[in-house]
Amino acid sequence: MAGTIVADTIQDGAGNSTAMDNAIYGSAKAWVTWNGNGVGTILASYNVSSVTYRSTGLFTINFTNAFSDANYTVAGCPAVNPGNAGGYLGVSDNTVGASTTACGVYTVNSAAALSNYSRISASFIR
Amino acid sequence: MSQVIIYTNSTNGVSVCVPTGELPINEVLAKDCPAGAIIVDDSTLPQGADAQFFDAWKLNGSTVTVDFPTAQAHKLRDFNAAAVQVAQKRQLNTLAGIANEVSDADFTAELTAGRAAIAAATTTAQLVAIANPV
Repeated sequence: MAGTIVADTIQDGAGNSTAMDNAIYGSAKAWVTWNGNGVGTILASYNVSSVTYRSTGLFTINFTNAFSDANYTVAGCPAVNPGNAGGYLGVSDNTVGASTTACGVYTVNSAAALSNYSRISASFIR
Repeated sequence: MSQVIIYTNSTNGVSVCVPTGELPINEVLAKDCPAGAIIVDDSTLPQGADAQFFDAWKLNGSTVTVDFPTAQAHKLRDFNAAAVQVAQKRQLNTLAGIANEVSDADFTAELTAGRAAIAAATTTAQLVAIANPV
């Protein structure tokens, strides 16, 4: 069944409400958590059809439904145990960058070397 | 056993596309992968020590193998990167007046032995067994 609800605010049973803009523009339209070690596994996802392992620390996140444009915000990180050197996730700006249908991301260690991690998360907000 | 999609990428390595399950794999193949990509069981991909040299994988037909000279080169690259980090730490220790636990001669010998072992290795298992300097 298809349909459209038009409203400026939404409210739960406890009376907590928020502007509809928060729901429309403030929620992740796609997210994924995956194991980046070797050819790992996808742990959970929403609106992501696949993750392509391109080489150590380089991945392409392919969206099930395309974005309206490529100006989405990307947030993510690899999981690192406390006390260990940090790991970082970024958006590739060369071979595979951000497009409406996919986003190339990389993970690096504290020495800026491409590295794999057993748990990597990324979310895409527009 | 899961199915994945593989193809030779622009750097002549192997890309492995892992479906999330939101779409049938044939749709993922058509939507997310270039022409020529093929569906394989993930159990056919290199396992064990070979799996640790993903950047040295080569696709021949529908079979993925490890290009050993490339794996060897990557191991040497990682070994040397680790050696640089250890050398910098040793230099900082010296500047700070902290004695290094290993003598320069022993450290040099460790690096020489490690590089010789990488050069002499004939299997990925042997490469994996060679510890980087710490």
